[in-house]
Amino acid sequence: MAARAACAAVCRRLGQELGSLSVNGSKSSTAQAGGLLLSSVKRAPSSSLHIDVPKDLIKPTITTSDEPDTLYKRLSILVKAHDKAVLDSYEYFAVLAAKELGISIDVHEPPRKMERLTLLKSVHIFKKHRVQYEMRTLYRRFELKHLTGCTANVYLEYIQRNLPEGVAMEVTKTQIQQLPEHIKEPMWEALTKEEDSKS
Amino acid sequence: MCQISYVKSTFGLASRSERPIRRKALPPRTEKMDVDQDWPSVYPVAAPFKPSAVPLPVRMGYPVKKGVPMAKEGNLELLKIPNFLHLTPVAIKRHCEALKDFCTEWPAALDSDEKCEKHFPIEIDTADYVSSGPSVRNPKARVVTLRVKLSSLNLDNHAKKKLIKLVGERYCKTTDVLSITTDRCPLKRQNYDYALYLLTVLYHESWKTEEWEKNKTEADMEEYVWENSSSEKNVLQTLLQIRAADSSGAPSREELLGTKEVEDYQKCVVRLKNEGENEESLAQYKESVKRLLNLECSLN
Repeated sequence: MAARAACAAVCRRLGQELGSLSVNGSKSSTAQAGGLLLSSVKRAPSSSLHIDVPKDLIKPTITTSDEPDTLYKRLSILVKAHDKAVLDSYEYFAVLAAKELGISIDVHEPPRKMERLTLLKSVHIFKKHRVQYEMRTLYRRFELKHLTGCTANVYLEYIQRNLPEGVAMEVTKTQIQQLPEHIKEPMWEALTKEEDSKS
Repeated sequence: MCQISYVKSTFGLASRSERPIRRKALPPRTEKMDVDQDWPSVYPVAAPFKPSAVPLPVRMGYPVKKGVPMAKEGNLELLKIPNFLHLTPVAIKRHCEALKDFCTEWPAALDSDEKCEKHFPIEIDTADYVSSGPSVRNPKARVVTLRVKLSSLNLDNHAKKKLIKLVGERYCKTTDVLSITTDRCPLKRQNYDYALYLLTVLYHESWKTEEWEKNKTEADMEEYVWENSSSEKNVLQTLLQIRAADSSGAPSREELLGTKEVEDYQKCVVRLKNEGENEESLAQYKESVKRLLNLECSLN
């Protein structure tokens, strides 16, 4: 509940912050873009991003609830891409974000995987002439330790919203929990006591 | 008679005055940018690379012979690759400042893995997948693995052995961890509920003792038990025969069982069968047999 409320507030807050910033940005860029673009049609003076920013911004209040937060012992994020430079930049971003939010992070680079295909070059005959393609998948693994549910949701949402095009992510969460009440004691003694009391 | 006039149709308008006046291209915005400007307001969100808005002299592309890589104006390579211009360190710090209010702190008392294990014995592994494609769903996302150490559950000896037998391959003897993996339900929380249900059922069933459990044979035993075993019978038979041959007084089985040598021999045999054969256990067995049969000879 707290996580969901927090996340909704995050979305609204981020949207408003980015919205307010982008409105300023786009206003200045359309003047230049109009001059550079070779269009004979007159452009309407509105930005390409439609952002509905209310005049009087009410800052979202952070709600806390009484129910206990979930605890994650470990969060393992595997990021896959075709380009090493993109992964390097993303790693810098993820590590800096984790450090700012106070999460311990560890990064390593699992070895890349290449899928190779050898196909016939021509549509018909010419068996001796082939063409070879390969698909490279490069990996990066981030290991985060000791996170609460709220922090994990905030961090994961931030990371995933800024995931670049063409990059995939797998998140493995290890949650720790207490033993539920019904496993503490075997129920047969309680059942026999009930039967005795009934009879 | 109506005069039909043929009007020549042109796409652009013919005369110079009727054509819309094309403004001269203004100098790019980069020339007006100062060095200490607020960059997150130029690129607040993920946007394609705009050469007129990025003041860096970037070149990208494979050069022609005796040439240099292409400049940034009209460069498709710079548009194709994802850029991180909206995620400069300044921008990341600003975002994290705003996000910090929604984070909660890890409880300081749980700093080591052992403490986590002690207070929170159950571990649940779930996976989420993010990728671009025709569908958001990933069928691997519904798998849930529940791991628990049997030492943290309230089980007695019989219950523990029965649970291990019920569970089979899902129990690892070296780490004493029971892992239940469920993926038969379509949703993740259904699989989680099912895993907890399985754990509950296993726990309660292992405390029950059924009628047919009395028929447990020696082959079913997990570890070697000396009472009522062939080794015990052999030892007692041998000793009775020796005592009967030596002297008239034949001691009873209980007396023989109570003697120190027989107990020592019992411990050695149990150790050999359970732990396997290594030098120490074999040496111990040898000593105990010698003492049992009074074969101690002084080697000088």
